[in-house]
Amino acid sequence: MYSLLKPCKTSAAFEAIPRERFGLDLDRCEEILRPVCTIVAHAGVLLIVNDRCEVSIHKDGRLILKTDSQDLATEQAGRIAGWLEGTDALRKHRDSRGPGQHPRS
Amino acid sequence: MTGQPALAREITGFLFLFPVSPPIRAQISAEVKQLAKLVALVSGGIDSPVAAYLMIRRGVEIVAVHMDNRPFTDDKNLDKALHLVRHLQELTGSPIRTYVVPHGPNHIVFARNCNRHLHCLFCRRMMYRVAERIAEREGAVGILTGESMGQVASQTVQNINVVNQVATLPIIRPLIGLDKVEIIDIARKIGTYEISTLPGLCCTIVPKQPSTAAKLPDVLAEEGKIDIGALVEKSLEGMYVLAPEAL
Repeated sequence: MYSLLKPCKTSAAFEAIPRERFGLDLDRCEEILRPVCTIVAHAGVLLIVNDRCEVSIHKDGRLILKTDSQDLATEQAGRIAGWLEGTDALRKHRDSRGPGQHPRS
Repeated sequence: MTGQPALAREITGFLFLFPVSPPIRAQISAEVKQLAKLVALVSGGIDSPVAAYLMIRRGVEIVAVHMDNRPFTDDKNLDKALHLVRHLQELTGSPIRTYVVPHGPNHIVFARNCNRHLHCLFCRRMMYRVAERIAEREGAVGILTGESMGQVASQTVQNINVVNQVATLPIIRPLIGLDKVEIIDIARKIGTYEISTLPGLCCTIVPKQPSTAAKLPDVLAEEGKIDIGALVEKSLEGMYVLAPEAL
């Protein structure tokens, strides 16, 4: 689900970009993640949760992982993906890109 | 000028098109000092500490206000802001009292209830409202910001006009006509650039397409959907003050 991790411009966090384009229902994400994460804030346009590190979850599926450790960011993105994959929180785009079509996957 | 740090002497005169002789400059500063205490909005960025420095060297007393955007930023931004204020204190020898105000909860209310494109306008107007209340408490006569024309989406003439409408105190913008290169040049000379560019997460709730030419009636209509007064009070309740020696 998340194959691409790149440092933010200021190197204070990592950004995980979905391998395929999809949208997220953040209300459903909150319901699904509440038992396993601390919900820090739900601002409608993004949801912030805390597990191993703090993560901003955007409606377009992007994750901002607030850590300077790429290993931790990778692990955390995998955990979020595991909890959300296959649930009705995901809304796939019609023009989803396959893994091979992503510029850096 | 005697008693002024070497770096300050080097920078003094940077903005003057015509040289001002030291005795006249000292006289201006003495008059300004008697009259002006300003609330300076200090982020962890490059511009606001430069703006604060330029006014301190003119003799203005500064009270710093940092609007804490967590959880939409990270702890490093607050650390940077406090580090910058500490650096300015050491550089100028001028003690600076610092207020840290929670701003994250305000962002949540704006994002959930108001037009996304205008988010940065709501944010800045809230900063000015809070700064004015702190100015009242501190006996300050104006608000000092690091805004510079056209540098980001929120800093167009139209947007600055919309933001100004919320303030009753004068807004002092010493960097308004400088470009980024000029601001960075000063920041490097006064030693704030290295601090401002330390890692720190940018605000994650900034809209993808922020309005660059907001209209006041639109902003007022959107703000009418929420209880602005309650947000201001809550921000003030949640703030804390750091004495100069606590930094």
